[in-house]
Amino acid sequence: MDNKAKSNKEDILSLANSLRWDLGVNFHDTVIESIYNDASKIANKTVRIQGKRPAYSLDLKIDRIVTSPWLGFPIMFLLLALVFWITISGANVPSGLLASLLVDTLHPILKGFAASIGMPWWLDGVLIDGAYLAMAWVIAVMLPPMAIFFPLFTLLEDFGYLPRVAFNMDSLFRKVGAHGKQALTLSMGFGCNAAGVIAARVIDSPRERLIAIITNNFSLCNGRWPTQILIATIFIGGAVPAHLAGLVSAGAVVGIAVLGIGFSLLVSWGLSKSILRGEASAFSLELPPYRPPRILQTLYTSLIDRTIFVLWRAIVFAIPAGILIWLVANVNIGGISLAEHFVQGTAPFAAIFGLNGVILLAYIIAIPANEIVIPTILMLTVLTAGTTGVGEGAGVMFELDSIGDTENLLRAGGWTLLTAINLMLFSLLHNPCSTTIYTIYKETKSLKWTLVSTFLPIALGFIVCFFTTQLWMILMA
Amino acid sequence: MWLAITPGATLLIGLLILGIIIWVFWPKKGLLSRWTRSSMNAQRVLLEDALKFVFDCEYKNIPCGLNSIAGNLNISTDKAAKLLDRLRTMGLIQMDDRAFELTDTGRSYALRIIRVHRIWERYLADETGVGQMEWHGEADYKEHRMSIEAADELAAQMGNPVFDPHGDPIPSAKGEIPDHKGQSLGSLKEGNIARIVHIEDEPKAIYQQLVALGLYPGMEVYILDITDGKITFAANGEECILTTLFASSITVELMPEKEERSPKYEVLTSLPIGHQAKIIGISPNCRGQQRRRLMDLGIVPGTVISAEMKSASGDPIGYRILGATIAIRKNQAQYIFIDKIEEKVHETTT
Repeated sequence: MDNKAKSNKEDILSLANSLRWDLGVNFHDTVIESIYNDASKIANKTVRIQGKRPAYSLDLKIDRIVTSPWLGFPIMFLLLALVFWITISGANVPSGLLASLLVDTLHPILKGFAASIGMPWWLDGVLIDGAYLAMAWVIAVMLPPMAIFFPLFTLLEDFGYLPRVAFNMDSLFRKVGAHGKQALTLSMGFGCNAAGVIAARVIDSPRERLIAIITNNFSLCNGRWPTQILIATIFIGGAVPAHLAGLVSAGAVVGIAVLGIGFSLLVSWGLSKSILRGEASAFSLELPPYRPPRILQTLYTSLIDRTIFVLWRAIVFAIPAGILIWLVANVNIGGISLAEHFVQGTAPFAAIFGLNGVILLAYIIAIPANEIVIPTILMLTVLTAGTTGVGEGAGVMFELDSIGDTENLLRAGGWTLLTAINLMLFSLLHNPCSTTIYTIYKETKSLKWTLVSTFLPIALGFIVCFFTTQLWMILMA
Repeated sequence: MWLAITPGATLLIGLLILGIIIWVFWPKKGLLSRWTRSSMNAQRVLLEDALKFVFDCEYKNIPCGLNSIAGNLNISTDKAAKLLDRLRTMGLIQMDDRAFELTDTGRSYALRIIRVHRIWERYLADETGVGQMEWHGEADYKEHRMSIEAADELAAQMGNPVFDPHGDPIPSAKGEIPDHKGQSLGSLKEGNIARIVHIEDEPKAIYQQLVALGLYPGMEVYILDITDGKITFAANGEECILTTLFASSITVELMPEKEERSPKYEVLTSLPIGHQAKIIGISPNCRGQQRRRLMDLGIVPGTVISAEMKSASGDPIGYRILGATIAIRKNQAQYIFIDKIEEKVHETTT
């Protein structure tokens, strides 16, 4: 009996298999269609719709305006510019307060306390000048802009406006093989690249999501704006007549940001045509109905999920990096510090790219946050140029209150207009900060794409700086 | 000191290094990828390709001689004769007089390779974004490297497909394959309605042109006219003219003329803003994830769809489907067939 049943079963299975060939290619579709048919039959029997929904026609009126060919883009640029302006101007005061509290007040108190209990100089250096100071700096410069930017952005999202931005921008991004929603992750990247990478979750097509993640670093993030503004003011503003200085230096910074968008599109195109060509791709974009934003909920989720989340990751990386920064400036071999060894050793290499050893070292050890690059550069410049009377000592990051003093220090470190231009380019085109790298790994779960996102911008940075420098030398010779 | 080189020379050296790096690492055409591609057993590839060809001849009942093998594999007849001899000593084919045929071992070997080839094509079509023109070449490369176990696993993940994207049946794991059926497009008569079941992907030049015409398996054709050397037919509302040579690359299945079918379809891109239409279907040319996504959104025959708004840049367009507004790009909307409903959805604001 058993055997018979078994052979019967196999007969049926093999018959079923051979019948599948007769079904033709479309039978999966037929299944889905019949599911929809049944569902709509059930819905017709059981669901009654009363009247027309009035809210929907209001939606349509708003959509007519924000997606119109004339008003669509101006409205979008105005809203985004407004968000950035509120962020940059609003963050200054709380950032200053936090810096004066954590760096100017608490740091000396901690130092005093360490001295009073007789802590050895190296332990006090590693813990307070290294770990604590790096952490304090990251909090002071990162927290305020993010705490302003993320809630504003989330409000726009919650209201339903951001999907319309993606809708309007899609044709540009389609041409480079990306998704319209990349306009959103790109804008988010101007706030913070790590948050921009997380925001790429909204892109549901695997290929386009990877493109958005890899190219997010080309959005000039909050941590890099102050560097750009400072260097542009000193060197580019200083190279033109005084009455033009403000305009030209502002133009240079905006130019770098626009160059970043250009690179973002160019690299998206390159990736979609080369290594990501075979990845699956599917476009869909829902335009949800508008609704009044839920302010409290937005504040809560954007502060907890985005601001605190990113800040925490930055702090976790800032502490070991702070220790490293202090150590390279204080561990001596043969009478000079590791930092000086590195700076002198890489000088000829860096010169080809129009940079210097200090900049290279600063970008390596200040990897946790772009915000601490300038303080690290200043500290290293003092250390290697042997300037006296400025700074807080070896391994202690600092910033100068006066732009003039900063300029004098950098010029003493051998900086020229070319160095400044290359630093601005390299600040745009270098590896993402460690927080972002870690986030990319968490999001893609792939070492390969993490490495690509890390090293592709560095390679581009060196190429761009190299050609800028060499052409400059030929033209200026 | 090496820095003392003049800037111009440094620039040239930089360009040179960049050029070399690109030359070595460029995807697909670079030195590195060429090297990895060429480092495989050329002899085995040739043997397997010959087996595949002999099987194809037997399957389609085409006589298969030494010359056609040499021509297909692009080798000299001498080499082809040696190849056949090797196949015979391996017990994969048997020869008597001038004719040869596959042994059972040879047949099951050939079927395994064909199975890997077609599963891989199905995979490329459904699960990746690799372009239609590249499926065959990629699968030709993969069929010699992928183990049958890996192919079985892949097939299981895709729900054991039974056809490849060209409409060819995929041999089952046990080596079963349905009998060859269908007829050449050229053998139809005026007024016939037929469905394309297969488009031969070799030679590539012909396949390329047929694809460029927008023909695909599953498409219905309506024969309008057959004259000497030319066949005219309607496909999705467009008129096509092919020569007999091209038509012989297309295999069709005659359809009973049961239901009234409008020979002309309109596509979603032609729907003006503010108008409604009923969906007829999605073109089989839209595959894989993209197709599933559209169907998940409710784009199935019978659903009512209305064009709501144009993006500021003109593309995509927002459509209202089952109570939700979904943006669809022009290059997807062209795959969706509709039947316009002559009535406005709602009064447009003036």
